[in-house]
Amino acid sequence: MVPIEYYLLLSAAIFSIGVFGILTRRNALLFLMSVELLLNAANINLVAFSRFHGNLTGQTFSLFTLALAAAEVAVGIGIILVLYRNFKDVDVTEAATMRW
Amino acid sequence: MAPLPFELTPAIAALPFVSFLIALFVGAFAPRLLPKGGAVPGILATGGSLLLSLWVMLTVSGGETYHEYVTWVAGAGEATFDLHLGVLVDPLSAMMLVIVSLVAFLVHIFSLGYMNDEGETGLPRYYAGLGLFTASMLSFVFADNLLMAFMFFELVGLCSWLLIGFWFRDDAPPSAAKKAFLVTRFGDYFFLVGLVGVFATFGTSMFVGGEGEGAIQSFPHIAEQVLAGEGAAEVTTYLGLDPQAWFAVLGLLILGGVVGKSAQFPLHTWLPDAMEGPTPVSALIHAATMVAAGVYLVARIYGFYALLPQVLALIAFVGGFTALFAATMGVVKREIKQVLAYSTISQYGYMMLGLGAGGYVAATFHLMTHAFFKALLFLGAGSVIIAMHHNEDMWDMGGLKDRMPVTYYTFLSGSLALAGIVPFAGFWSKDEILYEALVHGLNTPLLLAAYVMGLLAVFFTGFYTFRMVALTFHGEPRSDTARNPHDVRWNVKGPLAVLGILAAVAGVVNMLPVQKVLGVKNIDFLHQWLDSGPEALSAHHYGELLHDFAHYSAGTIGSGVTTVLLGAGLSLALALAGAGLAWKLYAVPDPEEHTDKLGGAKTVLFNNYYQDEYQVWLAEGLTLPLARAADKFDQGVIDGVVNGVSSVSLFGGSRIRRVQTGVVSNYAFLLTASFVVLLVVIGLVGGWF
Repeated sequence: MVPIEYYLLLSAAIFSIGVFGILTRRNALLFLMSVELLLNAANINLVAFSRFHGNLTGQTFSLFTLALAAAEVAVGIGIILVLYRNFKDVDVTEAATMRW
Repeated sequence: MAPLPFELTPAIAALPFVSFLIALFVGAFAPRLLPKGGAVPGILATGGSLLLSLWVMLTVSGGETYHEYVTWVAGAGEATFDLHLGVLVDPLSAMMLVIVSLVAFLVHIFSLGYMNDEGETGLPRYYAGLGLFTASMLSFVFADNLLMAFMFFELVGLCSWLLIGFWFRDDAPPSAAKKAFLVTRFGDYFFLVGLVGVFATFGTSMFVGGEGEGAIQSFPHIAEQVLAGEGAAEVTTYLGLDPQAWFAVLGLLILGGVVGKSAQFPLHTWLPDAMEGPTPVSALIHAATMVAAGVYLVARIYGFYALLPQVLALIAFVGGFTALFAATMGVVKREIKQVLAYSTISQYGYMMLGLGAGGYVAATFHLMTHAFFKALLFLGAGSVIIAMHHNEDMWDMGGLKDRMPVTYYTFLSGSLALAGIVPFAGFWSKDEILYEALVHGLNTPLLLAAYVMGLLAVFFTGFYTFRMVALTFHGEPRSDTARNPHDVRWNVKGPLAVLGILAAVAGVVNMLPVQKVLGVKNIDFLHQWLDSGPEALSAHHYGELLHDFAHYSAGTIGSGVTTVLLGAGLSLALALAGAGLAWKLYAVPDPEEHTDKLGGAKTVLFNNYYQDEYQVWLAEGLTLPLARAADKFDQGVIDGVVNGVSSVSLFGGSRIRRVQTGVVSNYAFLLTASFVVLLVVIGLVGGWF
């Protein structure tokens, strides 16, 4: 059996890649993908701990999270669509006209 | 069920009020339907009031009195009180109702001659003002509590403003009206504070208490019980004063309103200016309404003042001083109405002296006789002014005696009464006031000083009165209008005749010296009259209060009879001396201005002791800069702090908002960085490393 530390390391690595993506990218689509990475890093943790403790609740939760992520993507893509219609671009730094 | 005339008492005030409404609305919307510009409804209404008042007085003389009230604001809970509107008919108010409605009735008739015949415009407004004035004063007279009295007191002030400023297109009348309004309002401010104080202290402002268990007590009665230390009456005092001192404060506050309305020093300055109004209005203001209201108020709550010796002494002193002070100014005036204005101030000074010296009946007596003879003198002056084509300067008159005999003889009757020559009305009342001041003054130095001032004023009164008579009616005419005066009609002569007779004979109601010297019993009708009615409001009861609480006791010089003779003889001699001197100087074919020989003193007197100047200085030189400084403090310091706080916030906000860049990456960075910092801090504190 693979020890739990491996899973946690994998999860932390994916999470860090997601954070890096959010902090450095300006393209809204890449933003959305990075957020997906963050979510899935959490999912990996849920599944890993579920297996480690011999309890199926964590895996059930990860199923819910997947469904939620799908809904989130729908909303996110909607926002990106509106962003494109208004600014002819999907650069997130452009959309700063409503600050003050 | 009260007798019918008592049930009808509110109608005494309601009738003139209806005439006010008629003159106002019919005059505004259908002036053609209003005969004589509103005079007819006014005459009918005041005539009706007079008849009703006489009926009420007749019923009161049968020994019955009436007190009925409605609650218009009911208090809720323990520590509150009810506000009432009520009617109190006792001998004092019944007498005053007759005086006020009689004078108002005669003034309305006289106005036909003074206003209608002279072709004045705006008559509905004039008669509406007169109607409201009469209605407010009558309601004030039968008010049964201090709050109601205050409300109508204010209404009287408003009406005087309306009527003094009747000729509002000229310059002087509006200014005089404003002055009268503001000066009396200054006094009324103290009255209002005193009124609130009375409510806070006693929980009621009733003049007379109800009968039976749990009935409302009158506030003078509660005060009496508290000071006597008997009964279960509870009062709340303030400022850490004991009841005696606190009651004196309340008495002084209410006195503020009295001093303003009754034109006592130092708030007398509005009254001479009020001569700018039409002459019948002056008669009404001076004889029966506005100015009388102040003195009547003190008489109404005399049961309260009789408990306060310090306040009484102050009333007497201010009264005596005002009597002398105003009389000296009357000596040098050129205009007939100005002389009468200063005589009014002086005569009300006598009434205050009488009240302060413990002469409740004497002051009420003088209030009555003065109402008759001063209304007469003003209406007589009005008649002269009609004849002189509205020239009021006495130095342009002269010789009017033969040309207007009715006016002359009635005016002479009023003048003899004013000067206090026996047997005219003014002699009896003024003498009784001076007698009271003398006998009580023998044991109280302050009262004696007030008495001496009152006595000196008698000389000046005689002098200015007969200077006025001689200059107006005697000698050779000094102008063309005086040689050929305008005629006056029945509507002027009628009221003059009625008042002329009253001024001559009204003294018989209270010939106290005759009773004391000759021993004729029971001719002090006014004493008996004011002694009837409710015990707590009787002259007899006030006498006891004065003795027990104010420690007034009567002294004598030699025996009682010699004191009476000495007092009366002294005042009569002084009055005759003043009148005789004036007669000798001015009743010559071609009089000179002898007062010019007074030199600088005349200038001071002619300028009213610079009272107006110093009051204007108080307003412009002291109050205005003070108000400016306060305004500067408000605008600069208070508003500055408020504005400073807001500009600091505004500036700070405009800088701090730049944190919000609107770039989502920055927010994400801040979130992440904060999270990391939080983790590190928790780690350090939690000891992970």
